[in-house]
Amino acid sequence: MIYDVTHRTVYDYVESAAFSQHLLRLTPRDTNGQRVLSSRISLDPRPDEIVLERDMFGNLAHAATVSRPHGRFEIVAISRVERQSPSAFIFEASSPWEDVRAIATGAAAGPVPDDVAPFAFPTALTTANEEIEDWARDCFAPGRPVLAAAAALSARIHAEFDYVPGATAADTLPAESFAARRGVCQDFAHVMLAALRARRLPARYVSGYLRTIPPAGQPRLAGADASHAWVAVWDPALDWVEFDPTNNMIPGEDHITLAWGRDYSDVSPVSGIVVGAGAQSLHVGVDVMPAGG
Amino acid sequence: MMAEGARAAGASGDAGLRPPAPPYKAAADRHDEAVDATGRVRTHWERLAGWLAEAGPPVIDAIASELGRLRDESGIAFTARTVAAPGAVDPLPVVLSASDWATLERGLAQRARLAEAVIADLYGPRCTIREGLLPPGVVFGSDAFAAHAAGWEKPPERFTLVFEADVARGADGRWMILADRLDAPLGDGWLIANRIATSQAIAEPFIDCGARRIASHFARFQDLLDSLTGWEGRLALLTGGERDPRYFSHAYLARYLNATLVEPADLTVRDGAAFVKTLDGLKKVDVLLRGVPDRRIDALHRPRSAAPGAPALTVAARAGGLVMGNAIGTAAMAYRALAPYAHRLCERLLGEPLEIPDAPCLWLGDPAARAQVLEELPFWRIEPLTGGASPDAAPLLPEDPSAMTGAERDRLAVALERVGERFAAVATPPLATTPAWCANGLEPREWMMRVFASWAGESWSVAPGGVAATVEPGCPPPALGFGKDVWVLPDPGSAAKDEAASLLAARLAGGHLRRTGRELLSRVADEVFWLGRNAERAESVLRILNVCLQRYLSGNRIDADPAALTTLLSVHAREDDRAPAPARLRETLVRLIGDPDEPEGLAPTLAHLRSGAARARLSISEESWRYIDRLCADPRWRGRLDFRASGEIARLIEDALRSLAAFAGSAQENLTRNFAWRFLEMGRRIERGSQIARIVGRIAGRERENEESFLRALLTYSDSAAAYRARYMMVPTPAAVMDLLILDETNPRSLGFQLAQLEQVLSMLPSETPYRRPEHRRALALLTEVRLTEADAVAATDANGARPALGALMSRCRSELAEVSDTLARAYFAHAEAPVALMSQGRLGETP
Repeated sequence: MIYDVTHRTVYDYVESAAFSQHLLRLTPRDTNGQRVLSSRISLDPRPDEIVLERDMFGNLAHAATVSRPHGRFEIVAISRVERQSPSAFIFEASSPWEDVRAIATGAAAGPVPDDVAPFAFPTALTTANEEIEDWARDCFAPGRPVLAAAAALSARIHAEFDYVPGATAADTLPAESFAARRGVCQDFAHVMLAALRARRLPARYVSGYLRTIPPAGQPRLAGADASHAWVAVWDPALDWVEFDPTNNMIPGEDHITLAWGRDYSDVSPVSGIVVGAGAQSLHVGVDVMPAGG
Repeated sequence: MMAEGARAAGASGDAGLRPPAPPYKAAADRHDEAVDATGRVRTHWERLAGWLAEAGPPVIDAIASELGRLRDESGIAFTARTVAAPGAVDPLPVVLSASDWATLERGLAQRARLAEAVIADLYGPRCTIREGLLPPGVVFGSDAFAAHAAGWEKPPERFTLVFEADVARGADGRWMILADRLDAPLGDGWLIANRIATSQAIAEPFIDCGARRIASHFARFQDLLDSLTGWEGRLALLTGGERDPRYFSHAYLARYLNATLVEPADLTVRDGAAFVKTLDGLKKVDVLLRGVPDRRIDALHRPRSAAPGAPALTVAARAGGLVMGNAIGTAAMAYRALAPYAHRLCERLLGEPLEIPDAPCLWLGDPAARAQVLEELPFWRIEPLTGGASPDAAPLLPEDPSAMTGAERDRLAVALERVGERFAAVATPPLATTPAWCANGLEPREWMMRVFASWAGESWSVAPGGVAATVEPGCPPPALGFGKDVWVLPDPGSAAKDEAASLLAARLAGGHLRRTGRELLSRVADEVFWLGRNAERAESVLRILNVCLQRYLSGNRIDADPAALTTLLSVHAREDDRAPAPARLRETLVRLIGDPDEPEGLAPTLAHLRSGAARARLSISEESWRYIDRLCADPRWRGRLDFRASGEIARLIEDALRSLAAFAGSAQENLTRNFAWRFLEMGRRIERGSQIARIVGRIAGRERENEESFLRALLTYSDSAAAYRARYMMVPTPAAVMDLLILDETNPRSLGFQLAQLEQVLSMLPSETPYRRPEHRRALALLTEVRLTEADAVAATDANGARPALGALMSRCRSELAEVSDTLARAYFAHAEAPVALMSQGRLGETP
């Protein structure tokens, strides 16, 4: 399946901003099931300077600087991405979660997977509290294969949490969204990561898009045409396997990956600073269209 | 000091003839710096011991208080507050022999090499993780690891340029490391200031001992910095600002190394390089000494923890346009992160055995260590692994581990299991002792010290000395400050001499003198401008109070009329019409003097003035600062205002006015006429001009009953009564008073004088075009308007007794001066404005 993704962001400032700097993680990356055919970002006003950096997780980020007065800033990222159906995994064939923890934390014999280890530890946005740990305990019976445990966690989040836009913010901690049992995809991903990392199991925060096909008479999948976030869990043999706790599904043809990191703050698609802008307002629009469709 | 070996003048070696010496007795089973196990003075302490014996307690006490005074002075000279800890000062240095020092020096240089190697590996190939030398949780378990500094195509040439460590000697005399200071160390300012104060207070034995000088160490560091910045390049030192407890050291070191002292908001990143914002535009910074912790830098890459300001510094460092000392990311190995695995890291990365071991330290990410620590409480202290304050540390740090209940222990166990990676268990074993000068004379005390190293191009240079402190048994290293100086004796066999010349003098003699001051930081211009405005604002409030109090005390029926006085006060005080006149007057006076919530009251005005002066501290003269400090810190402001003693209050106000006059005079006389002076002057003129316009408009805006009394009040307020008498020798008339207070440019208190002065200073500011800048045009237009005005016209009243021409002119003056101020701010201080974070997005279904 080939998609054209358009992600448009507009900042409007009340006063004329003297200077702004932006970090844009809007370029999709190649993955096992995804090939980026083309990607471009256009900015208005044109930045005085743009630097492309690749971070330690392999994501591409553009650092853009505008040093002339401007009252608005528009970012349009257009990408064409080819997405394959994922191969099916047999979760029960994955390693017992205790073994995975031992490998990721360097407690097992043999070389430590140094590219996996950064994802095994709680970050500020993915630190569990006692309540989250107790709640997740059922999913981690001794010896249970790590991916089976992850699938169970994803199902529980989907079953027990309400999807409520606006109930949480970009920096809401998992303890808060957990206590309320509600939030959006980012919160669900953070809660799932918190539960996994409380056991030092390597898991990634994946940022991307979700295309929705609203069949007649059926509700649209939450997250239609918007930025989306889900989780990937590591197994030594199967490598990274993705889970979407918001929709309780295995991400497939309709999930397009932008970037991954330890939590939202590693991969927020658009962030930055501005000088002298006064109050700001933000408008975001995302379209995921099958190519030629 | 037990005087064995002490060579007192005239002593023939006969015990009976020795002068009375302060007795000193150290524990026999523990290493002491001054005496050996048998109580004999060690050879390298003989000279100091001899001097102590000769001096005796009264002289030592005198030196202690002299040292305290010197410390206070150098603290006040660099920061707005006292930096020396109060209490008795122990003037005795710790003397180390050449061989003791050699061991330590070698070990520290190795430690610094090790830290560099580990950090370079962590942000590059990560062999230490892959090979299991360093458990991943030590590195990735806390936010000290800077992911945005990892995996660069071209990593920084070096991560560390400076390295500090806290070290101590065990009871057996062997060195141990208590803490690695890798994240924003720059405590060297304390080392230098401490050495200068000590060597002045206790000059004789310092010279007599021949202690090694630290200047040559800094000369080596300076050479390195010069080679990194190049001939035309710029060195800056980044500080958290006046509120940062390390500000003293930063300011001191910046002056010593001739670095521009900058705060995060002074920096910006363009075209892959870092720049400081000056009045003359952006100036490139080539080398940045980083006195702000990792976490607080780069709001672009660390939006969650960074301070506003200095965004994208990482971009400049990554592009190779900026060398940082230390680089972003060094926090990952700071404090105790290196300690638990230092032995095997050293052997693997450097191929040598570790020279100096660490004080006991266990990493609590290790389940076995957790179990051991819980078993052995209260032997251990639990501290954040990489130092600093950690928000989740609180529940882990029991006040008194020995008094923990079973339930508390269980909670600790659970907490450690959850976030153990971020913590270390550390212990300070019994330490060696050194003589301390206490209330009871000389006593042996446990001691530790901070030592300082910097990269010198091919190897590490360790400053021969340190800042030592005597400590209670078992305690962690104290915060850096003034302390006991550490004297390292030269190797008698070595001919190598430390160059004695002070670096400060050498640099001043060099070619680094700049005269124009055009490179004034935008932030500093902003601060000085507002200092000028605040000083004038305070003066205006004080003058109104002074006029009212003098009249109140005079008892003159007309002048002291409560209603008239309240009208005068209402220029600055909010009006309250409810109370009857006499009570209202007292209430208004009290409110205007003491109420912190009165917007233009004296309390908030003085608070602003002092904090503004503190911020602008390095740009104004020492003397100027002291006048402001004395005025604002006067304890009488805090007393209860009692109007039965209104004479006291009047005296207080007069004293305050005198201090402000002294400040103004000192600023005129002692500031070079550079940009800082110009901005101070513009601030003063704008504020004084608008205050005059406001008060004249308010009081003389219409004809009043007792007009003469009000006109005299205006003359007194503007200190122009004598000038008026000299000129007119008659009762005040409106036209003559208006002429003197508004139009007469020879009267320094007149509005016209303020405008003329402002216009003149504005004409000296840089302009890119041949035309006058907007704020200059505006000021010139206003000045011209005032010059073309006639006194009779503004004094004229209409049928209702109002003076419309005066009212219109005064309100135009006020609004135009406000515009000039805003335009100035936009043109020169806009750079200094701090950036704010953009709203975040990308949250599913929350498209606004």
